[in-house]
Amino acid sequence: MSDPDLATRGIDARGVAVTLGERQVLRGVDIQIPPGRVTGLLAPSGAGKSTLLRALVRLVDTDAGTITLDGTDIGAIDARDLRRRVGLVAQTPVMLPGSVADNLRYGVEDLSDDDLHAALADADLDPAFATRVAGDLSGGERARVALARALTRGPELLLLDEPTSALDHDTADHIGATLRRLRDTGLGVCVTTHDLGFADAWVDRRVDLLG
Amino acid sequence: MSSDIWLKAIAGAGFAAIAVGLSIRYRLGHGREIAIATIRAFVQLAAVGGLIALVFRFPGLALVFVAAMVATASLTAGSRLRGLPGARVRALVSIALPALAATAVLLAIGAFAFTPRAAVPTAGILVGGAMTATTLTGRRLLESLRDDVPEIETRLALGDTARTALAPAIRRAVHTGLVPVIDQTRSVGLVTLPGTFVGLILGGATPAEAAATQLVVLLALMAVELGAGLLLAELTQRAVILPGERVLLLVIN
Repeated sequence: MSDPDLATRGIDARGVAVTLGERQVLRGVDIQIPPGRVTGLLAPSGAGKSTLLRALVRLVDTDAGTITLDGTDIGAIDARDLRRRVGLVAQTPVMLPGSVADNLRYGVEDLSDDDLHAALADADLDPAFATRVAGDLSGGERARVALARALTRGPELLLLDEPTSALDHDTADHIGATLRRLRDTGLGVCVTTHDLGFADAWVDRRVDLLG
Repeated sequence: MSSDIWLKAIAGAGFAAIAVGLSIRYRLGHGREIAIATIRAFVQLAAVGGLIALVFRFPGLALVFVAAMVATASLTAGSRLRGLPGARVRALVSIALPALAATAVLLAIGAFAFTPRAAVPTAGILVGGAMTATTLTGRRLLESLRDDVPEIETRLALGDTARTALAPAIRRAVHTGLVPVIDQTRSVGLVTLPGTFVGLILGGATPAEAAATQLVVLLALMAVELGAGLLLAELTQRAVILPGERVLLLVIN
């Protein structure tokens, strides 16, 4: 799975192993997530996709292997900086209390209105969304707000955990098109999915994670 | 023993018999439980009465008595906080520090006489309150660390420090721990007459003396319980925050 040509920029993970409690969830996993591409991480449910994404931003510890971002071991990068540079959008996005704007400004209180609207637009959301109560949004809207919220941190890479799992086909395609647009701006995107149709339609390169 | 003591004991047993009788008559299935609780209360209060009589005779024993209260409270709270590493020691610190400090202040300023008769019950009330706050705060916090993982993880993923990510859970837990004493303070004299007030009145104090003593106990209790909750929250954070802005319970997911 490893590809030396892709290793210089973005994330390069090699031989990653993770144990949660007593269970080894990942062993010997290699993945590269370069900028300017949509990388699809395909695996059946329970294969450890979410755990891998969390390990890439140090939300869980690895037992073995190396993970670098732009050639620097992620262990040497301040965890908060790492998580701002590599945005993680969870499978079931949690909306924090308040409005959509409050969510987008969370941790970046000085975000200008223009940047806020730009992030909404990047996630294919109308500026009028800013005043909506985040907790009242539908699943598809939450997925987009979570995407916009990750974008307000100015990430180099975006990791999306099964962003289309709870969405209908049309909404999923909408998300796919959004990811392509973000890729065209130079952002590296990694999307986990078990939907082969979605992967075939929207992913530039595919990494299979065996369960 | 005076006949007054026997009369009270017999009256108490009479009330317990009424409760057991009602339970049997209405088939509530609590008759045995009430009877056992009654016997326990008799034995425990007789024992504590005897022990306190000893403390009054040998004042040095007051320290042992208070230490035993703190130890029992810590074991009780600690056993309710399974899942938290070193729960008993953390409970001990959370209970002992604020409760004993407040007792010392109350004795030092002369709010209570520096005698076992005043110090032991005062320490008992404050240790009991600290135990309740520690248990409630700790349990709510452990629930959060189990149930609010997605929210905590979202905050971390957005670039929060672990402390900031845990702050809402900490606030909720400390508030939960404080609710009983806030309600007690708010309703004092309106809904119930608290123990200190009743005890002093029965002991012959004037209502003004009883009210002033109750007031200082209640307000000290509020500060002690807040202190206990905050300490437990801080000690829990130290147990679950890992290097690299991670939270321990996030791995159990």
